[in-house]
Amino acid sequence: MSTNYEQLAKKLVARAKKMGAKQAEAFVQVGREASCRVRDGEIEHLTQSTSKGVGLRVIVKNRLGFSWTSDFEPSSLNAFVDRAVKLAESAAPNPLNGLPDERDLGAFPKIGSLYDPEVASLAPDWKIKAALEMEKAARALDSRIKTIESVEAGEQVGEVFLASSAGVTGYSQGTSVYLYTGAVAEADGQLQNSWWYDARRFLNDLETPEHVAREAARRAVRMLGAKKVKSQKVPVVFDPMMAASFIGGIAGAVNGDSVYKKASFLANKLGQTIAPSTVTIVDDGLMEKGLATSPFDGEGVPTRRSAIVEKGVLETFLYDAFTARKAKTRSTGNASRGYRSLPSIGTHNLYLEPGTRSPEELIKELPHGFYVTSMLGHGSNMVTGDYSRGATGLWIENGELTRPVQEVTVAGNLLDMLSRLDGIGSDLTFRGSVGAPTIRFNELTVSGE
Amino acid sequence: MSQAPLLAIPLVERLLAAAMERGAEFAEVYVERNENTAVTLDEHKVKSAQSGLSQGVGVRVIVGAKVGYAYSDDLDDEALFRAARTAAFIAAGGGSEQAYRVNRTPLPTFYRLADHLSDVDVGKKRDLIVRANKAAHAYDKRIKQVMASYADSTKRVLVANTQGHLAEDTQDLCRINVMAVAEGKKGERRTGSYGGGGRVAFSHFDTFTPELVAHEAARQACATLGARDATAGEQTVVLAPGWSGILLHEAVGHGLEADFIRKGTSLFAGKLGEKVASDLVTVIDDGTMATARGSLNVDDEGNPTQFKVLIERGILKGYMYDSLNAKLMGKQTTGSGRRESFKHTPLPRMTNTYLAPGEDTHDDIIRGVDGGIYCASFGGGQVDITNGNFVFEVNEAYEIKKGKLGKPLKGVTLIGVGPEALKNVSRVGNDPTPDPGMGTCGKDGQGVPVGVGLPTVRIDKMTVGGTRVAGGKR
Repeated sequence: MSTNYEQLAKKLVARAKKMGAKQAEAFVQVGREASCRVRDGEIEHLTQSTSKGVGLRVIVKNRLGFSWTSDFEPSSLNAFVDRAVKLAESAAPNPLNGLPDERDLGAFPKIGSLYDPEVASLAPDWKIKAALEMEKAARALDSRIKTIESVEAGEQVGEVFLASSAGVTGYSQGTSVYLYTGAVAEADGQLQNSWWYDARRFLNDLETPEHVAREAARRAVRMLGAKKVKSQKVPVVFDPMMAASFIGGIAGAVNGDSVYKKASFLANKLGQTIAPSTVTIVDDGLMEKGLATSPFDGEGVPTRRSAIVEKGVLETFLYDAFTARKAKTRSTGNASRGYRSLPSIGTHNLYLEPGTRSPEELIKELPHGFYVTSMLGHGSNMVTGDYSRGATGLWIENGELTRPVQEVTVAGNLLDMLSRLDGIGSDLTFRGSVGAPTIRFNELTVSGE
Repeated sequence: MSQAPLLAIPLVERLLAAAMERGAEFAEVYVERNENTAVTLDEHKVKSAQSGLSQGVGVRVIVGAKVGYAYSDDLDDEALFRAARTAAFIAAGGGSEQAYRVNRTPLPTFYRLADHLSDVDVGKKRDLIVRANKAAHAYDKRIKQVMASYADSTKRVLVANTQGHLAEDTQDLCRINVMAVAEGKKGERRTGSYGGGGRVAFSHFDTFTPELVAHEAARQACATLGARDATAGEQTVVLAPGWSGILLHEAVGHGLEADFIRKGTSLFAGKLGEKVASDLVTVIDDGTMATARGSLNVDDEGNPTQFKVLIERGILKGYMYDSLNAKLMGKQTTGSGRRESFKHTPLPRMTNTYLAPGEDTHDDIIRGVDGGIYCASFGGGQVDITNGNFVFEVNEAYEIKKGKLGKPLKGVTLIGVGPEALKNVSRVGNDPTPDPGMGTCGKDGQGVPVGVGLPTVRIDKMTVGGTRVAGGKR
């Protein structure tokens, strides 16, 4: 089965060359997924599916054409290749177009297995049982849990094949398995919902259904009675999930393309100190069992581990082959893609290295402050660094988490916020492919009444 | 219309029978073939021309509230029957050998193109963005960067179910988009973005020209150069007509979708007939507007879309139903079952959602505000449908002082709770305006095109996020 797709990719590349492409690259994704949702003790939704697709990138006279399809009928594939070659005519010639330079290619790193046979052969019964258990556990946590928005368990198995006229042949396969609970709590006419999930490559690493469910329910219940606070400047603490989303925002600003266009507030900060020395942000394509681990990136460049910020100093931007050529630098192996899209710059496993202090200590020191547990809106402008998001969480009084807060925004400027990081917790947690510990800002603006 | 069906009808009928083998109550076959084209421009160059084809079949089987779903992107008989039997597994019984027949449902037509977008030469699509790039740069010397894109899809769908319905539709959709970056003094950078399209023929861009789109994006970017920070806290806000309707979509619309109502996760659950908004508020969801981005001749369950009054003069009148939630709640579908593709099950969704006009003029509304903020163009937004919290970024905003527009403001974010904001609507303009056709709504990981619309609206006591606290310490 595997060799079929590899051969298919190579055949497409050969056909494209024959039709006049100077360079060509085929990226094939094949996968299957299954999931189960339950409601009120019964199965609500069972799905099971397989899918596949190929994206073909061609360079014809320095012009870029791209086409994708899920139709693998041999009779359609020649026309598919020809379409990509023909499309290139409509694009402008650009000498920077092309597959990765030879110097950026090479042997793929050893990354260990990303494939858990146990996940690949997970029985439907396991998912049904896990989902039922989550629903029961969430309801059991507190009588104020009014309804369960959704509980779901599922797995995915995927393979990637890449072949290019630059001589790259790549194959990788991986599994993932996840649990999700969304719970709604009610008191005094107010509804609050919250969710929790865990996703891992290997079944053994997954949090238990009971843990996922209880966490979702606990987070919903503690928000009951939430109110606005007065607008003010206070110390603000982000829980690990919100900290991860903050770090994800920072990573958007080290995108080499935005930097080249000066459309990033970090564009002129390379080599400079942008955060306290306690801050190290890493993008790791090699992380053992990482959800975003892969031996090669979306155009066949070997992946690596890069410190984006090391001890507060901005060390590198992230590049794919095209942008690297434009910026006269090397690809960092950060071309990210699916078969339906051209490569674009993205991160692998991204995280903020943990500090030494417990989250409790970080909170205990504050006479007052805001502990943020969930946010709304996209809220950050990569060009200016301006940041403003809707936030909910718990108010801190005398070092303790007290009453719940909603309908406020937290605002600042990302660069200023980085410099205001005065506490990093020891509790690094990954939710998906981005991870962070609890973080504390010495002062941000909270807008409410 | 004389095209052959996407899948032979006898095969569709046999798939329905296979899906019912274990004694389900209902089965449905959804067939889709979607051709996409996109061209992008960056740094003065047409970066790439792209095309894509996805096709597949989704089979849904329902027993009570239980749903089995499977899809296949292989269209050979073996793969399709495997999908049907996988979906059938949700039913516990067996031994049904009943045959099913389906008949075509005549459909209304809210869009029909003589020339499908997939047949338009890609060179013409490229020319649009080349013109847009030129126009944006020519608009103002301070425009330093322009990104432009054009994308379209021609999607053919076939939906058939065991109630005997068969519906087929061809859904064209296109959109042009321009983002401009302006640079002011001291390297200050502001962005503006604008775009539009709909279920329209390519000739739409003869009047909705790339120049018009580019000028608006460039104007926005330049307008906010030198803007100062907004003051945080509660303020009176006035929303510009048109795209600002996204606030209505987020703050109210999602909470009226039947799945959230049935599960009791929406704060609008159980409130039919109750006053949920100011008397000035009438909210409509209309899937039948000619050529609008959110319109559909038929929803993704094969039912005709409708004109629906959701809130009438402040009173909650109705929810939006797909067929499954309607059945479980003892209601009729409102033709609101939508899905992103054959890989997804239908959910109750909005189509084109707008606020009915009031009696005030735009100018009178502004004149009546002593101090506040005018929100000229919105960015993205998000809502928590359970507690009703919503948040919006405003790309272009101005202060209002003594009834007049003043200086530009930056970093304006609006946050509120849906019903409270609706109760604080104090003026509604007589200038109803649809958006230019640029919205995509996400729910459960599924994106579908939607339209929004709004006249000029004044909302009192809206929380504005920002970094400047009035009278606060710094």
